[in-house]
Amino acid sequence: MEFIDYYKVLGVDKKASTDDIKKAYRKLARKYHPDLNPNDKEAELNFKKVNEANEVLSDPDKRKKYDQYGKDWQHAEEFEKAKRSRSQGRQQDFSGYTYSQSGGSAQDFSDFFESMFGGSGGFSSRRQKVRYRGEDYHAQLQLSLTDVLMTQKQTITVNGKNIRLTIPAGIEDGQTIKINGHGGPGLEGGPAGDLYITFSIVNNTAFKRDGADLFKTVEIPLTKAVLGGEIFVETLSGKVKLKVAPGTNNGTKVKLKGKGFPRYKKDGQFGDLILTYSVNIPKNLTQEQKSLFEALEKTNLT
Amino acid sequence: MEKENYISIRTFCQLHGVRESFVHSMCEFEIVRVDQKKGEAMLPTEELPLLEKMVRLHNELDINEAGVQAVFHLLQQVEDLQNEVAMLKRKLDRLDF
Repeated sequence: MEFIDYYKVLGVDKKASTDDIKKAYRKLARKYHPDLNPNDKEAELNFKKVNEANEVLSDPDKRKKYDQYGKDWQHAEEFEKAKRSRSQGRQQDFSGYTYSQSGGSAQDFSDFFESMFGGSGGFSSRRQKVRYRGEDYHAQLQLSLTDVLMTQKQTITVNGKNIRLTIPAGIEDGQTIKINGHGGPGLEGGPAGDLYITFSIVNNTAFKRDGADLFKTVEIPLTKAVLGGEIFVETLSGKVKLKVAPGTNNGTKVKLKGKGFPRYKKDGQFGDLILTYSVNIPKNLTQEQKSLFEALEKTNLT
Repeated sequence: MEKENYISIRTFCQLHGVRESFVHSMCEFEIVRVDQKKGEAMLPTEELPLLEKMVRLHNELDINEAGVQAVFHLLQQVEDLQNEVAMLKRKLDRLDF
């Protein structure tokens, strides 16, 4: 756990007035506010840092404690104990450093903040403070490409609740689906929030994917490219036999209709598999093969 | 059943600490939809996530109604561009270099 320089986070001087801190905070909050930076994890992290710095520096008690212990924050508790024992008999209470809980999540604080100030306050809940409609939850689910070849049902646990989820075949990497009403509970009869699940699809196949279309480069021998012939190619649904036309150029593309990936939410429909032929130029020729090529060359083959 | 799917603008504004004129502006700018139910302006609950976002921009960042409208349109553009970048990345990914 590292010391966090809250002054540096807000870009203000140690002698900055409350007003300067407020100004710096508002400036940075506008820059990193998650509502203005959709799908930007870095901005979200910065927003949390800025909020935390403001939580400490805008509160005179917290700022005083932070300034007093500075980098020796790890010993703060020991100092407090020693101080308390010295001030026995005086009605001094140092236990007032906890905040009232107002719906904030402890995860929004750094370990540094937690260890120095303890408890979990609600500063970041300003963004998601539940007033009527419940809080939205966000979750991530990692699956492999072959897992999403078919629509499947899965039970996931979010905030201690089991949710039965139908994952449609063909879901995209990075795609988010919304599950209505599975977020936090609402207040005053308000509806529950929603659950957003973002899928991370790991490609565990030899194919490249673009939507429902799959792509693969297939090497074919030079002789087959020139003379034509048959080859076997792996698809997601098994091996298929293909005819290579005589005189096939390097880079020729072949489309296998319906041999691609399932189309998202279109039952029974599949994309295409696009194969690119890469003609293999032989390098280690035997003497006999070399002679044959030389004989070919003499025929003025172009 | 129908009642569960609506919240009156007045209640929404009381709960979120925002003026009713703000919600009407959002409706005028076609950001959210407001329905009339028994002579009262009501918000369909499916409009709440977006309206709450606009309220946060207004309350937390001091952005006025016109500014919120501009932000709304820019955010739509950001979203479109993010989708386009994701699509182009997928296309790039399948190319061999």
